[in-house]
Amino acid sequence: MRLSIILISLFLGVFNVNSQCINFAKSVGKDYLGEYIHDGNYNATILEEGEKAELYKTFFSGQNYRVAIAKVEQLPDIHFRILDKEGNVLFDNIKYDYRLVWDFKVESTQMLIVELNVLEKSTGADDLINGCVSVLFGLEPGKKKKK
Amino acid sequence: MKRIMTKATIYFLSLAIGGVLVFSSCNSGQKKQKSEEQQIVESVNVDGKLVDDFKKSKLIFYSLPSPLETAMLIKRAGATYNEELLNPLSNIDKYSTNRQMALNLGIYSADLSYTSLFDQTQSSIKYMANAKRLADGLGIMDAIDEETLKKLEANIDNRDVMLDIISETFMSSNAYLTENDRPAIAVMVLVGGWVEGLYLATRLTNGSVENNKRLIDRIVYQKLSLYTVINLLEEYQDNEDVQYLLDRISELNEIFEKVEISNTSKIEAETDAESRVTTIKAESEAVISPIVFEELMKKVEEIRTEFVS
Repeated sequence: MRLSIILISLFLGVFNVNSQCINFAKSVGKDYLGEYIHDGNYNATILEEGEKAELYKTFFSGQNYRVAIAKVEQLPDIHFRILDKEGNVLFDNIKYDYRLVWDFKVESTQMLIVELNVLEKSTGADDLINGCVSVLFGLEPGKKKKK
Repeated sequence: MKRIMTKATIYFLSLAIGGVLVFSSCNSGQKKQKSEEQQIVESVNVDGKLVDDFKKSKLIFYSLPSPLETAMLIKRAGATYNEELLNPLSNIDKYSTNRQMALNLGIYSADLSYTSLFDQTQSSIKYMANAKRLADGLGIMDAIDEETLKKLEANIDNRDVMLDIISETFMSSNAYLTENDRPAIAVMVLVGGWVEGLYLATRLTNGSVENNKRLIDRIVYQKLSLYTVINLLEEYQDNEDVQYLLDRISELNEIFEKVEISNTSKIEAETDAESRVTTIKAESEAVISPIVFEELMKKVEEIRTEFVS
């Protein structure tokens, strides 16, 4: 029974924390888009060390995109990759010091997968860290400006 | 340490994990757990590791082209502005059910994006006011307030600021609904916006596959977005209104099935580390016959007319 109470409390706790991700996405995530215009879609959630997420999105040719991933400071680095629908890796941020903001353009319209994996740094299961992670897409405005 | 649970523990654990599952799928309206996790819920032997494994499951999000992105794609394809295509502002008095309000919040948001992209500022302010009324009707608190309208009016000469205000209101509405346990409504708003974008694009071709090939290209590649729309709707198909939408969108899918899209070369990526830009290269071919396009146009119009009526 104690286990049940702990799990229910955990669930309620997670719910309360999660409702703050909109504020995180607005105040932190959007800033990372720089001069790119946010497309307006809301993709944010609580992720924990070791947790993975995938986001499916169509990237249209002729439109330049900025993918901006933001995480709360206490979370470890996020391994971020872009894959095609066959699972071929097209971008891997491990090669670029785990950078979370990157620009993409496609020569022909493609459905791509944005894959995130929060790395693990804790030693035991009891002290796993979690927190808000947002994935926002920016659209390049009419004129190309410097990043 | 393994342990066999009592019936009461199984019940409460299922409730708790089930709660987390519901929460997870409600969180963004664009997220679901994979079937392996469903199996975990059904499992009887549970220990700490299993709970940890569950928590480390993969989450799936689906992101539709937003009204703003669709409007940009339409404009960049060289299409023109045609006010007659918009959902008339006066239609707002017809919308009283959650489904009508949600779909038309998406539709007015798409019209708002379209008017803003074409610098029709006075229309933008009116469409934002209508979006506010529907958001209020759906009980979406603070997504669009009087301050938003004033800010929009104060920035009519600055398109980028206007677009930023529009994108922020769209995100706030979506987040409010998903984080307040109303993901089905959030999905309906997204689908309304997507259908309106498709309606505007198809009508702006004037019915010909030859008039504006770039615009036709945009329309044809919505077949890829349709996959996202269907996945989103399927997550909440227990909801009667979502089921209705799924039926209508499936009719559209039958037509899109006749459209052929294929990559004619291998997908390759080229990354410029200095400018932090990755270019994804592939040759792709999309084919739609004039007959199928006409069929598609008619179906989109039929669905959209139903949504705005």
